[in-house]
Amino acid sequence: MEYRSSVITSKYLRSRKIPSTACSGCGLGLNHKIVVQAISELGLDVADVVWGTSIGCAGRQTFATWKGDGFAGTHGRVYAISRGLRVALPPEKKIILTVGDGDAFGIGLLHLIHAARSNADMTVIVNDNLGYQSTGGQYGWTTPQGSHTDSSPYGMFEHNLMSDEMDVLDILKGAGATFLARHVAMDGQRAVETVKKAILNRGFSLIHMPYPCPTNFASRELGSRNQVNIYRWIQERAAPLGEEKENTVWATGIWHDASNSRPEFSEYVHETVEKIRRTGSI
Amino acid sequence: MKRFLETGNFAITEGAILAGCRFFAGYPITPATELAEAMSLRLPQVGGIYLQAEDECAAMHMCVGAALGGMKAMTATSGPGFILYADPYGWALGCETPMVVLNSGRVGPVSGITGAPGQGEFYLMRYPTQGGNFETICLAPNTAQECMAMTVEAFYLSERFRMPVSVLADQLITDGFEDISVPENEDEMKEMGFRTWPREICRGPEFYPASDALDVPPVVLGHNTGALCSDWTPTEEGYDIEEVEAHHKHAYRLIYKVRNNRDLFSHHYEKKYMGDDPDLVVVSYGSPSRVVNTAVEKARSQGLKVGSLRLINIWPFPDEHFDRQCKYLCVELNWDGQLVREVQRAAPKGSGVHFMGTCGDLPTTPDLIETFEKLLKNEPIRRKGWVLEEW
Amino acid sequence: MKERIEIVASGFGGQGVVRLGQIIGETGVRQGLHVTMLKSHGTEMRGGYVRSQVVLSEEIIDSPMCESPDYFIALSSAAYERFKDTVPEGGLILYDPAFVEKIDEALPCRQERFPAKELSVEHFENPLFANSLVLGRVARLVDVLDKEEMLESLLEVIPKFHDRNREAFRLGYEYGG
Repeated sequence: MEYRSSVITSKYLRSRKIPSTACSGCGLGLNHKIVVQAISELGLDVADVVWGTSIGCAGRQTFATWKGDGFAGTHGRVYAISRGLRVALPPEKKIILTVGDGDAFGIGLLHLIHAARSNADMTVIVNDNLGYQSTGGQYGWTTPQGSHTDSSPYGMFEHNLMSDEMDVLDILKGAGATFLARHVAMDGQRAVETVKKAILNRGFSLIHMPYPCPTNFASRELGSRNQVNIYRWIQERAAPLGEEKENTVWATGIWHDASNSRPEFSEYVHETVEKIRRTGSI
Repeated sequence: MKRFLETGNFAITEGAILAGCRFFAGYPITPATELAEAMSLRLPQVGGIYLQAEDECAAMHMCVGAALGGMKAMTATSGPGFILYADPYGWALGCETPMVVLNSGRVGPVSGITGAPGQGEFYLMRYPTQGGNFETICLAPNTAQECMAMTVEAFYLSERFRMPVSVLADQLITDGFEDISVPENEDEMKEMGFRTWPREICRGPEFYPASDALDVPPVVLGHNTGALCSDWTPTEEGYDIEEVEAHHKHAYRLIYKVRNNRDLFSHHYEKKYMGDDPDLVVVSYGSPSRVVNTAVEKARSQGLKVGSLRLINIWPFPDEHFDRQCKYLCVELNWDGQLVREVQRAAPKGSGVHFMGTCGDLPTTPDLIETFEKLLKNEPIRRKGWVLEEW
Repeated sequence: MKERIEIVASGFGGQGVVRLGQIIGETGVRQGLHVTMLKSHGTEMRGGYVRSQVVLSEEIIDSPMCESPDYFIALSSAAYERFKDTVPEGGLILYDPAFVEKIDEALPCRQERFPAKELSVEHFENPLFANSLVLGRVARLVDVLDKEEMLESLLEVIPKFHDRNREAFRLGYEYGG
């Protein structure tokens, strides 16, 4: 994550973790910048956000980057932690989670679905490097079919959450998420605008953000660590929603926006509890 | 003070509320279900929150989150659910997050017998997660009334040690009805020996000091203290670091904050007929200890020089009770013998350490007395066809 | 009173055996006694039973197990067969002949036949009040239990049909003169 010093970095980020220890050419920094830029454009202060992360590349590299309060959950469980935390924090505090694809769509999918189901106010940024890269590069649940990874040396042949007309966002929509979007790391200001809307939704928001991994994914699938290749490879497979081409894997933009249409989890729970406390029933 | 005929589950619920618990997350499992139900009824009445989780792993993680947000939190389960706590338990130990965890033992392994008491998690309570480099505190009450007291105490200890503290009960204790006195105000709480400790907030910048000190306030998020907590080895400020030296400081605190401050809880035990150096000391905890106490009393009236040592604080294991060379009999609700291994380790060389196990049902007084007699006469012990191993 | 009084009630599921134990226990609590009451369920496979074990004492109660019950209320033959031998000489088995047909005459304890189900049907055209009859009988037989406290406990634990429950309790108490 190559950040140049700027007003934004000095206001929001810890110098100790920026620049980070991510591999050269890693695209995670682009996603991270999109999120911080969105926070800045919304005029939020450091104190307004509690930042949570998972483990793996996305979690480890983004942990403790935020100047304010931060936490990292065990693998896949950060959504359950966040539901408990949501109930304990004042409603105006934003919970922003930067997590990986293995965390959200593999080990944590059950907890993610229940966070969506309850419409707990949190913004989940799923930084998708197309597999488990911090463990050396194994396929994940959104890895494009046919991809060569360390655990799919013949090409990834399983059906997964992004193959055969399947889309992981369908699952989350069905579960009750109130804001869902997808962008690739190179989407710049378009993505920033989307993240702003996600943060403003008083409910469960998730943005799926594939980003390039030159070190592991690209070296196995494209045979090269040259970051230009993997950036181009992802870019070619992304197109704005409604402008999809035949080879489009990631249709980008706001995929489902039902912002503020359902009661938010913690507010609803608190209101109900207060009613029970006063009247003895709901 | 109000008196009720109620279950251990009721007593635990009231104890938690008295201790300031306002968050409970759980997953239905026999015999801890009624505790979750009682919490779902009682917590909203005092402005607290009950959440039903998608599994036990999520339940304890929700407690982690609520505790990180500043609430006193609790979860409860039985053995098959307790194993799903391994993940959050480790997190809470490492991040030093106070909360209370209850396990009501049933017959295992796996689902086993749902509605019968067991004690198969003696060591699991010591090592609820992987990795080592930590101590755990576990309290094992044997009556409904004591369930309430130990729940209050567990909350107290969890704040002062800033760590999860567990209460180990079993199906007989949590499901059984007993007369229970519930204090109605702070004076009555004090009178009953209940201690409480408020939630405080660590202001940093040293969130993880390399020290064995008590009363370092826990990390609480949302107060813009710059607090950090994670599953990685922390620097003193909470940054993740991969260095053995930093991990050594971290582990030192996790181990020695407990080992060096044991006097805060090591008084939790009960001794009966132990004043005259009995020839046989019967060691137990939880519901079997109640029959043991009855049997020891009867045995004394028959002239057998037997004493009862009931452990309440079972972890860290109280070695100091085993300084005398004599015969020991460990009575447990399992057939493999768990407590007995610890007693064998702690007792002086040359002590005869023996084991008597039942499972699903308590031992009977006549069986216990017969075993005492045989041990005192140096005869081998057998019970109902079950070949008891000599340890 | 005796150091501890042990009362076992056992029958099959749905008979209100746990309620019986609870009401007896509640009476003890009201009288300022220490009380334990364990409920246990045998497996359905083996002619299952439900059992309540109540211990009453002026002292703190160690073992909550009724190893030699002073009173055994038998409400099914499976329960009778399973626990009859635990009742010592000087103990009493109270059985309902509607459920316990065959009696073991060789037992050392006293055995009292109490047709609770039949009396309930006779007086209320409904077997529902058999347990209240049993409780009345228990209040009469167990010296330490106070009749009025027991009735109050019954009415508290069972909030419905107060009139008929009160009447059933009286019939049980006065049964046999």
